[in-house]
Amino acid sequence: MRTRNYSLPAALGGLLLVFWISPDLQVIAAGVAVFLFGMRMLEDGFKLAGSGMLERWLETATRSKARALLFGVASTTLLQSSSLVSVITISFLSAGLISLAGGVGIVFGANIGTTTGAWLVAGLGLKVDIGAYAMPMLALSIVLVFQKSKPLHGIGLALGGLGFLFLGIQFMKDGFDAFQGQIDLTRFALPGLLGLVVYTLIGAVATVIMQSSHATLVLILTALASGQLTYDNALALAIGSNIGTTITAIIASLGANVQGKRLALAHLVFNVVTAVVALILIVPLRGAVDWIGDALTIAPDDFALKLAVFHTLFNLLGLGLMLPVLDRLVAALVRVLPEKLPDVSKPHFLNEAVDEFPQTFETALRREVQHLTDNALDLILQGLNLPSAAVFQSCDLAGTVRAHRAQLPLDYDDAYARRIKSLHEAILAFCSRIGDRHLAPDIAERVYELRDVAGEVVQAVKAVKHLRKNVLRYTTLSLGLTTQLYDGLRTEVARIASEIHALSRTDSEERSALWLDQERVQIEKDAHATAQRIDGLIRDSVLTPGSATSFLNDSTYAYAAMRQLTNAARRCYIERDRAMAEVEKILTLEDEELHDPAAPDATGPRDGHDDSDHGDVTREA
Amino acid sequence: MGLKKLAARLAEYRERQEAGRVREIRPEHVERIIAKLTSKEASLGEEIAETRDAEKRTRLEQKREIALEQIARAEWLMAQVNKPAS
Repeated sequence: MRTRNYSLPAALGGLLLVFWISPDLQVIAAGVAVFLFGMRMLEDGFKLAGSGMLERWLETATRSKARALLFGVASTTLLQSSSLVSVITISFLSAGLISLAGGVGIVFGANIGTTTGAWLVAGLGLKVDIGAYAMPMLALSIVLVFQKSKPLHGIGLALGGLGFLFLGIQFMKDGFDAFQGQIDLTRFALPGLLGLVVYTLIGAVATVIMQSSHATLVLILTALASGQLTYDNALALAIGSNIGTTITAIIASLGANVQGKRLALAHLVFNVVTAVVALILIVPLRGAVDWIGDALTIAPDDFALKLAVFHTLFNLLGLGLMLPVLDRLVAALVRVLPEKLPDVSKPHFLNEAVDEFPQTFETALRREVQHLTDNALDLILQGLNLPSAAVFQSCDLAGTVRAHRAQLPLDYDDAYARRIKSLHEAILAFCSRIGDRHLAPDIAERVYELRDVAGEVVQAVKAVKHLRKNVLRYTTLSLGLTTQLYDGLRTEVARIASEIHALSRTDSEERSALWLDQERVQIEKDAHATAQRIDGLIRDSVLTPGSATSFLNDSTYAYAAMRQLTNAARRCYIERDRAMAEVEKILTLEDEELHDPAAPDATGPRDGHDDSDHGDVTREA
Repeated sequence: MGLKKLAARLAEYRERQEAGRVREIRPEHVERIIAKLTSKEASLGEEIAETRDAEKRTRLEQKREIALEQIARAEWLMAQVNKPAS
């Protein structure tokens, strides 16, 4: 039976009912709405104005725990949105750009960074006419928003976002001031343990609904400043908002891979542990806040600033508790959420979480193409009756090839459809989204190049399919010269697969795609030597011209597959540093140089054979 | 060494760099690539020393020749990158 979702009409109906009962609540609700709208605009503005700067910093920020933590604090203080920082972190983690420990460090830091918001609102927002600042900001922002330049457009959005944040705070203040004359909310204050538990839950639920602990805190601070909340209940609400804020990371992790889910769980563990400890230690924490308040010359009745002190203090307490056990927490997360044995036929890296940012978009695509290449190498080797494990571990490939005569159980077409075509389709669909992303031209160019690389890998698999028929015919039994010739082709394909596999397993700091130029030269040498050998065999009447043509056609498919695989791999494993990638592009050998790279400005035709005839060697022999 | 082609590719890169479409290549970038090529050349040398099979040895020696050619190209590029802009 289909169930209908009534949450939206219920929420809208509930709001209308509340507005009917108390018209002043409209101003408070509008304040929350304007504040949330401002946050969204601020996030969009930073994404545009930063042009990936935040993402570039993030990549280098996780080289140590201390740097990750500092990045979390600084970025959240700057953006005033721990949600944006967590979403970017999940995206980067899903694309494999940062480590789980680094990601957890950033999220811990973001929890400290978010406390600056309470200081800004309590120290500034409630003490000056903040709405007056909002007006010029909004007017100036709209001029910038209409500019064509992306950074200016982004700055306009960020400025407008900030203006709406200020306006939202002003509305909330005004709403609570007007509300004070009608209803005294402190009548609903609950003392003792019950108050702590109930208000913690209310804080968590309010933050889940608004998906912003900032908005909840501003609401608490304005209500507290207007005397509509007791200080004790406000403390519990602040603790609850810390639990509720984990919902953003949890929602973002739903579209992410297991690493993203682990990070969301780490965020939840941090905030729940911190909240539980803060609730247990509420009395000494309250005393510590009074003591710090005195030291900072905060007036004893300035509960808004005291709440900011409390918010910072209990988050620092959480950090102090969790930081020493960060490594054990990471190990526990890996245990609790183990990586499932990956289904090779499904994309591993293309998910919703990486779709958000240009850097993660490109990196995830590159890794998926590498995944496709891994699948292709495995299928190609199996298609030639060679188990990939035996090839990749072999020190004597010619011997390994001779030792594998038994036909491997394989439906090539079925395996192609499951492990190659499905991934290729996912890659094409992912690349087609580039139109909606407005990526920078250089990133768009690299994305299209990766799409073409995927196409080359697919062509290599198809080329080996043509070759397979005669490989099965002549290499499952020892049939003299023909078997030797086909074994030679199998060995050369296996050598290329083995080199690409070895390159993929080498640390990216150690390897260079230029290494594959050595294989490219070797392929051309081998192709030339094979053609010459066949010419000799025809001349000596060992092979009929008809048989030779069939073998040469098969060898054309084999060398085409080798060229396509090496070309794909060298573009897949090109340096990630853009300047170093340019060095590789300048140094790499051009196709016409492959015949004699040391020759001064070498030129020479590549061996090519007519592939119009693809016959049967024995039939013609 | 095909210097003309290499120089043409460098000139094409410089055009793109002047248009602000690519990052500037600094000496340390070329240095890191040279280090990677040198490490590959060294590992090929070790493999050659351990290999008894004549055919495999010939292949490895050919690969090593390419590695040396690539190092020479990279050193040429380093000299160009170090040249003061005219």
